[in-house]
Amino acid sequence: MAVVLLPGTLAAEAGGQKRFELRAATVGEALRQLPVANLLFDEAGELRRLVNVYVDGVDARGGRLLDEPLTGDSEVRIVGAVAGG
Amino acid sequence: MAVLLPVGTRKGLFLLRSDDARKDWELEGPLLPGWPVYHAIVDPRDGVLYAATNSFIYGGTVHRSDDLGRNWERAEEIGLPEESGLKLNATWHVEPGKDSELWLGGDPGVLFRSDDGGITWDVNRGLLEHPTREKWQPGAGGMCCHSIQIVDETMYIAISAAGAFRSDDGGDTWTPINKDVAADFHPEKYPEVGQCVHKLLVHPARPDRLWQQNHCGVYRSDDRGDNWERLDGNGLPSDFGFGLALDAGDPDVAYVIPEVSGEQHFTPDDRLGVYRTGDAGASWQLTAKGLPERAWAAVLREGFAYDEGGLYFGTQSGSVWSAPRGGGEWIEAVRNLPPILSVEAAHV
Repeated sequence: MAVVLLPGTLAAEAGGQKRFELRAATVGEALRQLPVANLLFDEAGELRRLVNVYVDGVDARGGRLLDEPLTGDSEVRIVGAVAGG
Repeated sequence: MAVLLPVGTRKGLFLLRSDDARKDWELEGPLLPGWPVYHAIVDPRDGVLYAATNSFIYGGTVHRSDDLGRNWERAEEIGLPEESGLKLNATWHVEPGKDSELWLGGDPGVLFRSDDGGITWDVNRGLLEHPTREKWQPGAGGMCCHSIQIVDETMYIAISAAGAFRSDDGGDTWTPINKDVAADFHPEKYPEVGQCVHKLLVHPARPDRLWQQNHCGVYRSDDRGDNWERLDGNGLPSDFGFGLALDAGDPDVAYVIPEVSGEQHFTPDDRLGVYRTGDAGASWQLTAKGLPERAWAAVLREGFAYDEGGLYFGTQSGSVWSAPRGGGEWIEAVRNLPPILSVEAAHV
């Protein structure tokens, strides 16, 4: 089971749950199972521009992003873009 | 019965409560911490609290609460059809309609309807596919549908900068109602559409009478928007502003909070002032007892509200001010909130 970790704002929208264990072959498959999926994806089904996804500590935007494969012990961390001081 | 002001801020929602005297205010919040709340209302039909919420990262949505903010539900996907080529940029204004209808205005100049208490939303095709849409332009706050007024079978909306529109068929079709409303920034000064309305209100007791604070003046219509009369000058220090409030019992009364100009969004004359007309806009008087005389404040388009007992506005510097209906002394109900985006009045 892959683990998906949510930041605070999204966890509040998921009833306070920060950690999800999901059966998913790819990042996209995992994210779409989340109860906050409509905050991560826009109406065209595209990952919102300022949502960053790290798989085992590596930025998935530098790889295959939603098609990035997951293994049973992958850790997927969602991080909202950070700007400012 | 208590007065409840839902106050939307850039960092969440606050609730201010008082009794009928409106002198002492209790503060609760922040609710929905971290979410900019562009507008929030308590639906007078059932007491449900709605908030138009917009995250820089996670997009625009609507939250609803059956218990005044203890528990929240979020709307399912609010989006625009792929063939439109448009995407929802923000949710701006929630307005109860007929029966169980709920309406939502958004950016880019779009309107949605919900019949299930704000969980699912259908886009209004008449506005989405309006034949003049290609002539619309976004204002500084985006192309926001920020005013929704519903009187019997007639609906009015206003979009910055597309202008004001009226529908007499439940929203199927929309007629531009911008005659004699200036668009000084436009190549054609009085175009059919493209005006930058900042706020539009219908008088509740005289529904043919509309008021608007525009980027280019203050206006009144006495014929459902078919014709407009410009009302600034005669006591107003500026034609520019955002907030607008009326008096439920007197259609000749209106209040505005002028700002210097489109380039200088703060109150003129180095003070915070509310201006009142009691003669349908022929003249305006400063009503500022209790307001600071050294101030450069800004009140946004959703930041001014009224009910049968009072007037309320919130500033971008985080103060909410309250005054009794008809004038009198302004009281700073709360200060040091995050920048205030909206104020509404409800009774619970």
